[in-house]
Amino acid sequence: MTERTTTERAMAAHSGTAPILEVRHLSVSFGGLRAVDDVSFTVARNRITTVIGPNGAGKSTLFNLISGALRPRAGHVLIEGTDHTGEPPYRVQAAGLARSFQITNLFFDLSVAENLRQAAQILEPRSMMWRPIGASRAAHARVDELLERFGLTAKAQYPAGKLSHGEQRRLEVAVALACRPKVLLLDEPTQGMSHGDTQDTAALITSLAADVTVLLIEHDIGLVMSLSDHVIVMHQGQKLAEGAPTDVRNNPAVQAAYFGHA
Amino acid sequence: MRMIDALTRSMRASHLLVALLVAASLVFAAIGAAMGETFYLRLATEALIFAGLALSVDILLGYNGLLSLGQALYFGLGAYLSALVLMWVPSFWAAFAVTAVVSAVVGLIGGFIANRVRGVYFALITFGMAQVAAKVVYNTRALGASDGLIGVPVIDINLGIISFSSASPAGFFLFVLGVIVILYGVTAYLLDTPFGRLLIALRANERRVPFLGYRTMTLRLSAYVIAAMIAALSGALYPMLRGFVSPELLFFSTSGNAVITVIVGGVGTLAGALYGSVLLTLLKSVVGSYTEHHVIVIGLLFMGAVIFLPRGLMGIVRPAVERMLTRRSKP
Repeated sequence: MTERTTTERAMAAHSGTAPILEVRHLSVSFGGLRAVDDVSFTVARNRITTVIGPNGAGKSTLFNLISGALRPRAGHVLIEGTDHTGEPPYRVQAAGLARSFQITNLFFDLSVAENLRQAAQILEPRSMMWRPIGASRAAHARVDELLERFGLTAKAQYPAGKLSHGEQRRLEVAVALACRPKVLLLDEPTQGMSHGDTQDTAALITSLAADVTVLLIEHDIGLVMSLSDHVIVMHQGQKLAEGAPTDVRNNPAVQAAYFGHA
Repeated sequence: MRMIDALTRSMRASHLLVALLVAASLVFAAIGAAMGETFYLRLATEALIFAGLALSVDILLGYNGLLSLGQALYFGLGAYLSALVLMWVPSFWAAFAVTAVVSAVVGLIGGFIANRVRGVYFALITFGMAQVAAKVVYNTRALGASDGLIGVPVIDINLGIISFSSASPAGFFLFVLGVIVILYGVTAYLLDTPFGRLLIALRANERRVPFLGYRTMTLRLSAYVIAAMIAALSGALYPMLRGFVSPELLFFSTSGNAVITVIVGGVGTLAGALYGSVLLTLLKSVVGSYTEHHVIVIGLLFMGAVIFLPRGLMGIVRPAVERMLTRRSKP
């Protein structure tokens, strides 16, 4: 993993101003349905970009295409100018992209700390894979840091499956962040959360943008407006509009398709 | 230092239980040697050899969450390779070296085939591969066909400091004990590394693992090859004990017994594979001396174990040992 990321960093440095993440004419169909249809956009470094759109607009499918969970039929995914289209998730991860899932996707019978340690292990050199678990100091340090930051220290030794829904959603984000990615894809991190938890999570995401680029899927419009630097609107698999939050909100096409009034 | 987590604590509890078994074995060997016993020492040696096979089943079932119904393929492979080598050069080291290398290669090939699928299909493919191998051996004249290979010579095992004959009941028992403890030690070490933890992660949620940066096929293949080598190295001890090998070693009964051993002993505990094998071998022998239908009794026992002790023997004993370890670490 280490050789790979170093090469890619070198290549990115070489290409200079290549955007951290770029999607070009991405398309995929399921049966006759064009789930993602010719979508292109670039994501600005250390900003929060939010993808919004009604249910079935293709937001999660878009995330699956970018993260390597699905292979696109056409188009390209570029991370720092390097083409990673159709690569399996472990390659995309090595390029510096991590993601969380809309449906909580943890190791439910392992402890909270072990869930994070599993994700942070990639920070260690490959040779640590075959050393006793306690020898991975950097991974353990990262776990402690994340437990603190996500307010899960008291629950560190709980099985992840025993956490409340809100805590599981937070852990889901923490696990994605554990590998110190350059780009973080968060698929509805506040899904099903209480109002208070949602506000806390929003503050957390805002604080993340200091050192990681965030691409977010979010349904809570109030949150989208306050949180995002840039908004991409999807509708029926296509990109309907993009721009600053207020511009998008005032766009008549977006209001017709998404907010339901013209 | 940081707190040890639950998984490492469980592993330490297993070490303690295995240490207990080793201590009991040493006492047993001393008594056996003093009394000039042969039958029970040989029986106990066989129990330990099959414990190695059960250990390999537990790596796959207990950690990776994959049920192999064909682990006898590698056990039989090791037994036949060892017999062939010993008939040619009577050296334990040669037999072990050849077995290790060949089983790694065969395991890699078998692993590529079996790990393309999961769940029931994995069980069926491993079963199928072992059946094919068993039939091939059964019909190959050069391998003694249905009679197997007989006349494997008694060898002198030279460990540098001491040397003894494989025909010495107590000496060979202690030697096999040593080999099985080393195989256990290597397995337990590997399973408490980040690699081993990833196998547990695969069992818990295989779909999440690629997003953490790992290729699942590489992990599953590594686990499969390690399990194949452990089964084969255990099998390599068999002709040294019995002086012959037969195709039965590759049959489903061998694979199935290993699975029963692990389930009765406690899935995912490693120590359970060892205790389970001792228990089952002993029961087979004791019940077998009363009735020739001992398989019926073993079958009923297995059903009872699954219903009343779903976590197996060590599933009950080990948590108690873990609690003891926790108390001791927090004075």
